[in-house]
Amino acid sequence: MRDRILKALEGSSAEYTEIRVEREWRSRVVYQGRDLENLEASSDLGGIVRCLVGGGWGISVFNSLDELGARVEDARRIAELVSSKVSEKVELAPVEPVQDEVRVSLEKDPRSVSLQEKQALLQAYNDLILGHSDKVVSTRTRYTDSFKEVTFASSQGTFIVEERPDVTLLLGAMAREGDANVQLAAESLGWAAGFEAAEGQEEQAGTAAQRAVDLLSAKPVTGGVYTAVLDHILAGVFIHEAFGHLCEADFISKNPSLQEVLKPGRKFGVDELNVVEEGYLPGLRGNFKYDDEGTPRVKTYLIRDGILEGFMHSRETAARMGAVPKGNARAISYRHEPIVRMRNTIIDQGTVPFDEMIKDIAHGIYACDAFGGQTELEQFTFSAGYAYEIVDGKVGEMLRDVVLTGNIFETLKKIDRIGDDLKIIGGSGGCGKGGQYPLAVTFGSPHIRIQNLTIGGRAA
Amino acid sequence: MTSQIRAGQLMEKLSGQVGGAELYESRSQETPVRFRAGALESVKSVETIGRALRVIHEGRVGFSTTTDLADDKTLVQNALQSAQFGGPAPFDFPGRQPGPSVKCFDPEVEEMETASMISLGEEVIAKLRAYDPELQVDLSVSRAVEEITLLNTSGLDVEDRRTYYNLGIEVTRTRGDDIQILWDSASSHAVGEIDAPAMVERLLERLRWAERTARVETKAMPVVFTRLATLCLLMPLGQGLNGRFVYEGASPLREKLDQQVIDPRFTLVDDGRLDFASLSSPYDDEGTPTARKPLIEDGVVRQFLYDLKTAAQAGASPTGNGFKAQGAGERSYHLPPTIASTTRLVLPGDQSLEEMLRGLDEAILVQGVIGLGQGNVLAGEFSNNVSMGFLVRKGEVVGRVKNTMIAGNVYELLKDRLIGLSDRGDWVFGVLNTPAIAVDGVGVVSQG
Repeated sequence: MRDRILKALEGSSAEYTEIRVEREWRSRVVYQGRDLENLEASSDLGGIVRCLVGGGWGISVFNSLDELGARVEDARRIAELVSSKVSEKVELAPVEPVQDEVRVSLEKDPRSVSLQEKQALLQAYNDLILGHSDKVVSTRTRYTDSFKEVTFASSQGTFIVEERPDVTLLLGAMAREGDANVQLAAESLGWAAGFEAAEGQEEQAGTAAQRAVDLLSAKPVTGGVYTAVLDHILAGVFIHEAFGHLCEADFISKNPSLQEVLKPGRKFGVDELNVVEEGYLPGLRGNFKYDDEGTPRVKTYLIRDGILEGFMHSRETAARMGAVPKGNARAISYRHEPIVRMRNTIIDQGTVPFDEMIKDIAHGIYACDAFGGQTELEQFTFSAGYAYEIVDGKVGEMLRDVVLTGNIFETLKKIDRIGDDLKIIGGSGGCGKGGQYPLAVTFGSPHIRIQNLTIGGRAA
Repeated sequence: MTSQIRAGQLMEKLSGQVGGAELYESRSQETPVRFRAGALESVKSVETIGRALRVIHEGRVGFSTTTDLADDKTLVQNALQSAQFGGPAPFDFPGRQPGPSVKCFDPEVEEMETASMISLGEEVIAKLRAYDPELQVDLSVSRAVEEITLLNTSGLDVEDRRTYYNLGIEVTRTRGDDIQILWDSASSHAVGEIDAPAMVERLLERLRWAERTARVETKAMPVVFTRLATLCLLMPLGQGLNGRFVYEGASPLREKLDQQVIDPRFTLVDDGRLDFASLSSPYDDEGTPTARKPLIEDGVVRQFLYDLKTAAQAGASPTGNGFKAQGAGERSYHLPPTIASTTRLVLPGDQSLEEMLRGLDEAILVQGVIGLGQGNVLAGEFSNNVSMGFLVRKGEVVGRVKNTMIAGNVYELLKDRLIGLSDRGDWVFGVLNTPAIAVDGVGVVSQG
């Protein structure tokens, strides 16, 4: 394969050519209630070529690797057509050429664990959830594994072979009481590891089941404006959705008015606020050494001491904005070209203990876990999996249907306490952008407190 | 074609070995063209092949997929291993049945030149920039031809060629810290079904309305849902009508067949055979003929959606809704079949949108929301941030509302609080056609 790729690269007359070939082995087990919905072992093989000619991109995607040279020529020809139409030529920020082979050693390589073992593991969790209480009427449980071998080569001398393992576990419970009260709760887990990571998660199954049951008797929240404390999951989703996406340079690099708003040096939050994008945390979900342009993944600061410092870049956006690419160009598979993405987006450790954070809140909300979130640049929304009232400085009754919303510029400034209990989470889902979903990422945060946060719900 | 024969050969080989087998093969040739910030960014040529094998062996289902058509062995081995421990198969693969005649192929899409897609993008961008040169416009236009082969050991032999055409436009307007994003997209099997000038006109209308901002109070009030925003209401209904959730006992509609659950003015149809609609096809992905059927008729629940498996479980008939789909519209050979809706139609009412708005002292006209699918959708709850909404007083647009959430329960609102439906349907992404839906008593929380 190496020789064929190198030969195809040599044959290209484009200014820049890259080839990425991926081979994937994956399996999947899905239960809904007692029903085994899917048990599957599959494989995938395909590639993508990107060529740059006269500042325009041409891209070719294919499954058959028989005529790699012809695919390169396809991409080059398309790039030539594009180059006649581009108004601003694409340039690529320099990166050091890399020759590397990244092999992983897994305790239990999912490719050599039988499908039956995977099914039995998930069934055991599924049974635990179903047996937890009479009120648990169904489940949403899923085990997935994927092992990819990604080969990336460019005409600038980079040749990388990287193995990328991924294992996820979704443990969801559905509880019902009476006719209309149906509640869902889930624990969502994921790792860049082998089958072993998904074992021994019985406690998480019980946690999800109990939470679904508890939610049956939780009060729906009354919509309004509250002082809110967010747990590490919800705060992590918040920083990913509301701020992370805003710092992806492909949004910013061609938009001068947005560059005015997002000026490095602008004060975005309290001095204690640090938002970082970790590059490579081995073992955590979606963590690999290189991005899909062959750039080593390293840490970058988005906010340091409350002040906006920088953005996430591909080689293209870095060149346009005069920055250094740090490994944020990622693609979910060979079917897609790399775009600017997050990796591990984290509100860094603060100093305030949880009790301290809530002690002077007369009436507020402690919101935990996330069902999801979405952002349209300045506007964001995210929903808590569950929540509690805070009354006179103490955590009180459980609440449900808590959806938080706001304007990112205002909300970041309203974070007034940052906890001392940072946790980083790799869930079972992923991030979506530009038609590429799901991309394995992690997010994390300590507990944080936000003043005057809008929470949707039935009007009081 | 060689692999077509090999697909047939594979079926023959399997028919002796297993109780039943189904082979789904997709060959697709797609050309997406992308513009960013008003300029052409990339053109892509995507040629993909994929094959999915589903088997029933000793009453259990096995499933496997591959893109490597040269390697039948691994595919069969994986599917058989999966069937050994797979879920029960309460169904058999269907034989050949006459399917409806549905138009899914447009030679104009097949023959479309990349250069004319680029021109279309340039024209759209020019029109938007004529309104405001500062607008940031991202755009994608793509064409695709897909050949589907679906064979099974019960004698099913479907071959279908379909074309796809898609246009997506995203406009960003930045004024200080006020950033607005407006977007729209349309898709169809045919070029002629996509009205780019009308899409541009609608975006411009929203830009004009959004020139001013308006304040709303936190209270329960009338909301007029249009286009994308109607999904706040229709997404929970869609889940409630899903045969899987009904069988599972999770749907609030599970015991409501033939009962009046919402206002008699409301009718929702699922149509799998509407000519050129992007989700139309003569058969679903399991070989069941597609159909047009009312799901809710005059407020009465008439039909739940089923694929082969859930129909067998529930003792119902499959409705032609077994598709290789997941999440919000993703469809691919590599997914196992599950229940998915085809084109959804909400039948219009008898008042124009303008009349409807004039009749309301104060209402929010919501065209777009973010956070769809958040919260307890199955229970009928929605709670969304209004990304594109306008305060309207007696038919006059006052301005754009910001930092505002709307929330409620669909089953309650559509039952007792329906104000009305407008007299004209709008396409949403080429998969839903709906009039404006006005309801009273929606919880509105706003900070400005």
